[in-house]
Amino acid sequence: MMDELELLKKDWQKKEAYLPKLSHAEIHKMIWKKSSSIVKWILIISILEFLLPHLLYLLPSAKTSWAIYESLGMSNYIIGLTVVQYVIVFYFIAQFYKRYKEISVLEDAKKLMRKIIKTRASVKYYIIFSLSLLFFAFVSAAFAIYISEDLSVLFDSMHTEVPQNVSPERLKRSFIWSVLILGFCFTAFIGGIYFLLYGRLLRKLKKNYNELEQIEV
Amino acid sequence: MNKELENRFVTELENNQNIVHKVCTLYTNDRDSHNDLFQEITIQLWKAYPKFRGDSKFSTWMYRVALNTAITMYRKSKKRVQTQDYESVIFKIKADEYDEAEEQQLKLMYNAIKQLGDIDKALVFLYLEDKDYSEISETLGITEVNARVKMNRIKNKLRTILNP
Repeated sequence: MMDELELLKKDWQKKEAYLPKLSHAEIHKMIWKKSSSIVKWILIISILEFLLPHLLYLLPSAKTSWAIYESLGMSNYIIGLTVVQYVIVFYFIAQFYKRYKEISVLEDAKKLMRKIIKTRASVKYYIIFSLSLLFFAFVSAAFAIYISEDLSVLFDSMHTEVPQNVSPERLKRSFIWSVLILGFCFTAFIGGIYFLLYGRLLRKLKKNYNELEQIEV
Repeated sequence: MNKELENRFVTELENNQNIVHKVCTLYTNDRDSHNDLFQEITIQLWKAYPKFRGDSKFSTWMYRVALNTAITMYRKSKKRVQTQDYESVIFKIKADEYDEAEEQQLKLMYNAIKQLGDIDKALVFLYLEDKDYSEISETLGITEVNARVKMNRIKNKLRTILNP
């Protein structure tokens, strides 16, 4: 009996007759079309991710929060933190760019996938860093409220009156808790959205990479 | 980039386009996706072409870029509805060349191959293209021994489908 796979191989060679044939002109038109590869998407999305948090500072509400920080005597602290933040952000961007440049379709499949995952990982670490910083800012604010003597400055900066019918102790406590809870929800919300999108983008690639890894076990 | 390079590339691709079409046939299920993937592979080939030194055959080089694009870089667009009237090339089997049993076997095997994962498909594709294990291992980045083991498993899987 002829081996089934030999039969298959033979038939496969015959398939050429049925394949589409593109003309020189048709192929020529294609080479200047825009790529929609995963690497291209990673680049676009990553640039957006690097930019977006910085655009948030332009919102009017950012000015209000700055006023709140000032009222709590945190402005120097925040400036210092911002400088550190930018140094780290530039490190992440440089690392991302370096890894992005190393991606080459000429590598073997496994190396190519590993490089894409690594490139994407530098953005992932950047996001984790940004989220931690965001949460840390909330925690610091809560701490500043905890050590501040007079909450009226805080209320002034938000253009509201200090409620008179609540004891200062209670007011302080509820303030600290609201800041912490708000901080946690906000960070979790942004993180949730981010990791959902991130997971979608690389799902297929990761599955294939794991499959290749498993072959080697 | 100059016109001469452009022309040389398009001519080489035109002469070897079968390789790309075959990859597209395995990895897509309708005509639009086929064309989509073909275009993406063409773009990737063209982008990498300046690095093609000619020390390997153009076709050998194409296998790697085409498979890498299909497995790694290509994102299927979800919007596509599978067109009903489209019959994939691989199911076009000339009835007069085979007896009924053989024809049935081929259909079953092609069906099974279509259901395989992306990596298994790549292995089967290279096997059907008569590539040896050293080339398969180099293309996918796995060791030759493991490529052989994996291929045998896939072959057995296909055989059990035929002889349950």
